[in-house]
Formats: sequence, structure tokens, C-alpha cells
Amino acid sequence: MTRIKRDAIAYLVIAGLSILMLTWGIPAYTPAYPGYGASPALVPNVSVSVILFMACLSLLRIGVVIFMNKTIPAEEAVFPEDLDDDAGFTQVGRVKLQHLASTMIPCVLLVVAIEYIAYMFVSFIFLMIFQYVIGNRHWIQSIVVSIILTAVLYIVMRYGFGVPVPGPQIF
Amino acid sequence: MEMIIAGLLDSLSPASLLFVFVGVAIGVLIGAIPGINGPMAIALFIPVTYYMSPLTAIGFLVGLNKGAFFGGAVSAVLLRTPGTPEAAATSWDGYPLTQKGKGEKALRMALYSSVAGDFISTLVLILIASPLAAVALFMGPAEIFALISLALTVIAGIGTNSICRGLMAAGFGVLVGLVGTEPVTALPRLTFDIYQFGGGISLIPVAIGLLAFSEILLQLEKFTVKGGGEHTIHVFSSKLEDRMLPLKEFFANTKTLLRGSLIGIGVGAMPGLGAPVASFMSYDQAMKRSKHKEEFGKGRLEGVAASESANSAVVASSMIPLFVLGIPGNLAVAMLMGAFMIHGMQPGPLMFQENAQFMYSVYGSLLIASLLLLVIGRLGLRFFCRAVNIPAMILYPIVVFTCIMGSYLGKSSMFDVGIMLAFGFIGYYMRKFDYSYVAFLIGFILAPEWERALQQVVIISEHDTYMFFQRPVAMTLMALTLFVVVRTFWHGINKGRKKRQVEEAAAKAGQHKSD
Repeated sequence: MTRIKRDAIAYLVIAGLSILMLTWGIPAYTPAYPGYGASPALVPNVSVSVILFMACLSLLRIGVVIFMNKTIPAEEAVFPEDLDDDAGFTQVGRVKLQHLASTMIPCVLLVVAIEYIAYMFVSFIFLMIFQYVIGNRHWIQSIVVSIILTAVLYIVMRYGFGVPVPGPQIF
Repeated sequence: MEMIIAGLLDSLSPASLLFVFVGVAIGVLIGAIPGINGPMAIALFIPVTYYMSPLTAIGFLVGLNKGAFFGGAVSAVLLRTPGTPEAAATSWDGYPLTQKGKGEKALRMALYSSVAGDFISTLVLILIASPLAAVALFMGPAEIFALISLALTVIAGIGTNSICRGLMAAGFGVLVGLVGTEPVTALPRLTFDIYQFGGGISLIPVAIGLLAFSEILLQLEKFTVKGGGEHTIHVFSSKLEDRMLPLKEFFANTKTLLRGSLIGIGVGAMPGLGAPVASFMSYDQAMKRSKHKEEFGKGRLEGVAASESANSAVVASSMIPLFVLGIPGNLAVAMLMGAFMIHGMQPGPLMFQENAQFMYSVYGSLLIASLLLLVIGRLGLRFFCRAVNIPAMILYPIVVFTCIMGSYLGKSSMFDVGIMLAFGFIGYYMRKFDYSYVAFLIGFILAPEWERALQQVVIISEHDTYMFFQRPVAMTLMALTLFVVVRTFWHGINKGRKKRQVEEAAAKAGQHKSD
């Protein structure tokens, strides 16, 4: 997918969500006007309208570029990794879905699992999995890092701040 | 006068000194690690400050920020990998010096320049913030509303190539900042029947997600997608003249240091510009005015001094708009503003009336942090140099787990961890699609104050639509807001047109050649 196409889809999604917010989200989840001051819906409506207007403006610009056969500056039209083979790590660029899934899923599982299983156990497993995902194949190092980090944060939270760690307590 | 002395004495209390010391040390250490910067460090450590007194908390965070600014120079000089964006110009001369075995000398210059720039800037802040705040007190809700509108539009241009995307990000930030209890009716708004949203969305999980977690998600691409990413550090020379920085050599750069500091102060005082602009401007000026222009970029100490004095001067001067107007000029200050609010204070001109003693304590902490930076940097230079070599495989799990536990710490709630992950995900997409997360965060922080000012305007004026026309300052600020938007669009259109012309000319020239 080209960058312009991706941006156009993003603007369409944003415009769609803005319309949904203006027609349903804000009216349904904002208190009624109390009769004095500004309406509670005013600022949310203004901010969503700005988003919608800017999305439409950006779509219009892309439309002009496409239909009038104009060229868009390369740094806006092409992904940085395509402009320069050595670009390597760039902030703006293609979304690496596999990478995103492999790093986010262990975190989401940790949030869900920690409510039911003790912190010590879940944190240790999470850190082991996370290190494996980012490519650490030194098992001894992984185990040592996981144990030390779990224990240090437990001690800091429990005895430093007096905050119970999440999930069922075993100590 | 009594307040000033009492405030300064508070900043000299053992607890305050200890936390400023710890803040500076952690800041330098974190700044030295490539990929972790000041705002990210503040976001990660704000939850820890819940358990401190307001003064120790602010002192700790200020120290952290100052330390991180210098820390960025360590990896810039040793690896040509700036730990922070503002240290990029430092690497241009710092790294060639390291290649010549003079890395320690370059780092000493960076340290002394940072301390000098920071100290001068702190003095300027102390001298001008209070009188300016007294003037700012004459501003009413209409002026505050107009000022926040201006700040949001100016800041929308930061961190993105497109003002449209910047304004979309700022608008989204405002929308998220409005979730919670509506101030006039005291009823829930935009909560979507999720009761945890009733009290609003906390700054801590949002900031950690957007600043730290999304950054880690991006940086981990190097490992899960491309593999590798380790680096080796150059060894320091054992010759004394390559390591030490004689006073004569340091004072030969006095002009550059002063110029850099003034540029840093000017840039920092203007919302939206930030430290990278200051360091590039100062480097450019130093090169243009130097008798040895040709040596710049090949390892000239003057280049290091220019960049470091300017970027460190931004740290204190960027607090001028915060203390005078209650507007954060950059991300680090926005985070500090959040910390003030968490500790029950609203930064702005009223602080000099309501919490005068506290403000002088903060000033004291700022000065102490500058001095401690000199001591810690000087004594721990070699130790901090080792920080750039922390293996990524150990560093990233620590940062990710700290993000998770830091988000939990604020309210002892896993719901906040979920919010942090959600905003980490959103932040990743914002960066990939070039939407400014800086504009989002500042919109998020300023939204409640913006709405409060608007409500006050409407209630005081009894729905008088022409109220703004009776307030010349507010009118000027609104006109300036409009001007900024129009100018930015016009500038963008012109820039695009010029680029198109250049590209078309280049394409034609290429065609002629092939013919």
C-alpha cells in the first residue's frame, strides 16, 4: 500500500469516527444543558468538529493531488524506508503488525492474568516471554533478569510505597 | 523577603537535597541511554512522586529533567547516537573528538557548558518570572481562554510535518481530556457508561503509554524485525591532555557559551520551539561567527559548547511560560505541569500569590540541581559512560515492566494499566502515521483549564456573544491564533509548491540528459 493511500484511509476512518461522535457519542453521553454557562457539549463538539474539518481538508488535498495529476513531495508521499534503504529504524513508516502483536499480546495477557494469579508468578512468566519475544535466547540471563526485576519491584512497592502488588496476595 | 529566605531554606532541607541529588543522578543515567529522554523519564517517575512531599517531588523531577538533558550528550559524544533529540548537534563535533581519543575532554566541555547554560537560564527565570506573573494576573478568563487557544495552535505544529494532523491530534487530546465529570453540572460526560472514567482519565497512564511505552514498541522493532542494535564504545585516551579541559581552553569559549545560553533562553521562553531548535540555532551561529569554520563537524570543542549551553538553557527558561501564564512550552514542562497538578497546585501567575514560599523553594531546587549536576557529572562521568553499553535485552524488559507497574501505582488499579497499554498502542500508530503525540498530550493537559475559562467567560458575560470584542488583549490573542493557523497553512502550501517545482525541474533535467 502506498503512503498516500494509507493516509487517505486514515483520514476517512477519522472523519467517520468524528461523524459518529457528533451524531451519537457526544449527544448520548453528555449531560443536558443546565440553563446557565456554556453547554457541556460545546467544547467536545468544537474539538471533534476541528478533527472532522482537518480530516476533510486533508482528504481534499489528496483528492486534488490525484485528480489533477499533481505531485506530492516525496517525503510525504513515500515511506521513509522506501526512500532510503539504509533508513533502518524510522518513526514514521509502515506499521509492523506482527511485531506489534508479539509485544502487545504478552502485556495484555499479563493485565488479564494478574487479577487471578499471584503477581510473583505472572510477572516472572511475563518477563521470560517478553525477553524471548525481543530475541533474548540466553536462558540464564533471562531467568536472572526476571527474578531480580520481579523481586525488586515487589520490595519497592510493598515496603517502599506500602502499596499491595496487583492480584491475589501470597505474602 | 522572609518568604524568599524560608523558601530557600526549605530547598536546603536534607530530604529536598537528597531527592534533587537522586533526580539528577538518575536523569544523567537515563539520558545517557539511547532512546530514553527527559519527558519519558518524568512520565515513568511521576507515579513515584505520589509518595513524596510536593517540594521533594518537584525537586526530584526538575533534577531528573536537568540530568537527562546533559545525559543525552554522553551517548551523542561517545556513540554518535544522541540520547535525546536536542543532543544531535552535540554529536557533530563530540563524536569526531571521541574518534580522536578525546571523548572525555568533549564530555567535560559538554558538562561545563550544560551547567553554565542551565545556571544562567535559571537566574533569568528567577529574575523575570515573578514580575511577569504580576502583570499576567491582570488577565481574566477571556484572555486565558484565548491564550490556551493560541498555545494549542502553536503546539500543533510540533512533531509532525502537517498542521492538519497536528490540529487533529490536539483536538483528540482535548476530547480525551474532557472525559469525566463535567464542571458545571457535575455529571459524568463521555464516559460511555464505564464507571472508572467517572473521575476522568489520569495523566499518568496516558503519559506513560504515549511517551514511554509507544517509544519502546517502536525501538523494539530493531530487534523483532531487523535484529541487532548493539554498539561498542570507543576507548578513552590515556594521555592527560586528551582527557582534561584546562581553564584556558574552557574560557576561550566564553562568547559561544553566553551566546548559546541567550539563544536557549529565548527559544525556551517561546512555547512550541523546544531544545532541539535552540541547539541547532546556537551551533549554526557559533559556526558562522567562528574564525575556524572549517573545523566545525570535525571535532571542535566550540561546537559542543554551543549546542550544550543552548539546549540546557532551555530547561529553566521553558518554565517561564508555565510560571507566568500556566502554559507548558514543551513536553518536559507539560509533564512537570502534570506533576504540579497531581500535588494539588495549578501552575500559573496565581502561584506567586498562593504558594509564594513554595515557588521560592522550587527556585532554590533549580539552582541546587544545577550545582549538583556539576558535581555528579564531574565525579560520575566514567560511570555514566558505561550506561550507554547496557544491553538492550536487559534494558527494554525493565522499562516495559516499569511502565506497567508505574501505571498501576497511581491508583493501585489494573484499569490504569489497560489505559496505558491502549495509549501505548495509539501512540505507536500516531508516530507511524505522523500525528503529533506532543500536541495530543498538551491538548489533554490544557483541556480542563480551557473549558473552565470558557465557562467563566460565558457565565460572567451572561451569554454576550460580543464579550471578546470588549477585551483587547483577548481579541489580539485570538487574532494571533487565527494568524498562526493561516500562516502555517500558507507556509505549507508554498513549501509544497516550491518542492514540486524543484522536483519537476529535476525530472525535466533528467529527461534531457537521457535524450
